[in-house]
Amino acid sequence: MPAEADRLSSGPTDAELIARCAAQDRAAFRALYGKWSARLHGVALRITRDPGLAADATHDAFVQVWQQAGRFDPAKGEAGSWLTTLARYRALDMVRRRGREVLGHEAHEEPDLGPDPLNLLMAAADGGALKRCLELLNAERRQLVLLAFVNGLSHSQLAEKLNLPIGTVKSWIRRSLLGLKECLAP
Amino acid sequence: MSGAEDPGPDATLAAEYVLGTLELEEARAVLLRVNGDPAFAAEVAFWERRLMPLALLAPPVAPPAVLWARIEDSTAGAERRGGPPEVAMPRAANDSGLIWWRAGTFAGLAVAAGLAAFIALRPPAPPPVLAVLTAYGSPAPVLVAVAGPNGAITLRTTGAISVPTDRDLELWALSAGAKAPAPLGVIPPAGKTVPAGVAEGTVLLVSLEPKGGSVTGKPTGPVLYAGTLHRFD
Repeated sequence: MPAEADRLSSGPTDAELIARCAAQDRAAFRALYGKWSARLHGVALRITRDPGLAADATHDAFVQVWQQAGRFDPAKGEAGSWLTTLARYRALDMVRRRGREVLGHEAHEEPDLGPDPLNLLMAAADGGALKRCLELLNAERRQLVLLAFVNGLSHSQLAEKLNLPIGTVKSWIRRSLLGLKECLAP
Repeated sequence: MSGAEDPGPDATLAAEYVLGTLELEEARAVLLRVNGDPAFAAEVAFWERRLMPLALLAPPVAPPAVLWARIEDSTAGAERRGGPPEVAMPRAANDSGLIWWRAGTFAGLAVAAGLAAFIALRPPAPPPVLAVLTAYGSPAPVLVAVAGPNGAITLRTTGAISVPTDRDLELWALSAGAKAPAPLGVIPPAGKTVPAGVAEGTVLLVSLEPKGGSVTGKPTGPVLYAGTLHRFD
């Protein structure tokens, strides 16, 4: 993860690069793109499952980075989390609109999460706590939370994919989130 | 966690928004609430921080090689004009409890910034207070609301808005810190001026209502457009 690399190398941190973007430093912007574009594009692609839409989401996210860099406050959160959030919300918004505009839009094959997905979380600064809390959920509900986040599925899409009543999906997600909240609260 | 009493739907709304399970209309409603409810905004920020490591589960994929050129094109305008965009970007977003990294309002703010730059070329006028109303997630301005010195709001549409014949658009003001918006009346298709007396930082909303407007005093239909009143000086 780029955040880890930051700590090990003597190069500028992501937060420093963002601060330089706020000062109109194009080289810093290019460097940030080099470090983060594949990760943001990967997140957007997983949600949209459409290379064109994913590229649009990644584009919009970086334009936002350039325009809003001055508002990023490293005291309030990690740079990587900020960058990822921008791409994710753009991608989610795009697929929700597409779903509505193209009536009966064909559901794609859902990519699965791979073996041992929780171990990947350890690469993030805050990942350990999240992993520990997710492990308190039963396997089925944990899977639901992971699929929802990573593949960007709505309540109704989850219900369709897992062949469960939507009420059950909503209720499982809610219970899982309440459990996570209790576990993650400071 | 298994035997706890259910604290009601509101307890997980912020988390569901960040998780991404809300449908389009629900997500839009949440985004509007984030504007006017700092405690709720803080909860969204908590979940964004806590859940974002899950993004590591999506494998990185290099974007198309042409993407950087596109991004450069899209971000080059401000430099060519020679003005730093920060001058025109409204700062109020941070001060009124908006989430500092929230994605949705960017487009509206960018448009507002462009308008502000335009207006700033006419020196002696007092600084305008205006809101650019857009559909959620869309950069296209649909309505521009300008607050006059007497507190009246003049609304202009940027093009024809098509409204079903049995419906009306209604304007609402959600002042900073308020839980519910106050009605400002139905909007005729050509725009209107309403004596509103609303302050900067107020979020203006436009909802789709039955003919004649909502009878409950609250929006009953979907909120189609929204924007925040800022002073550009």
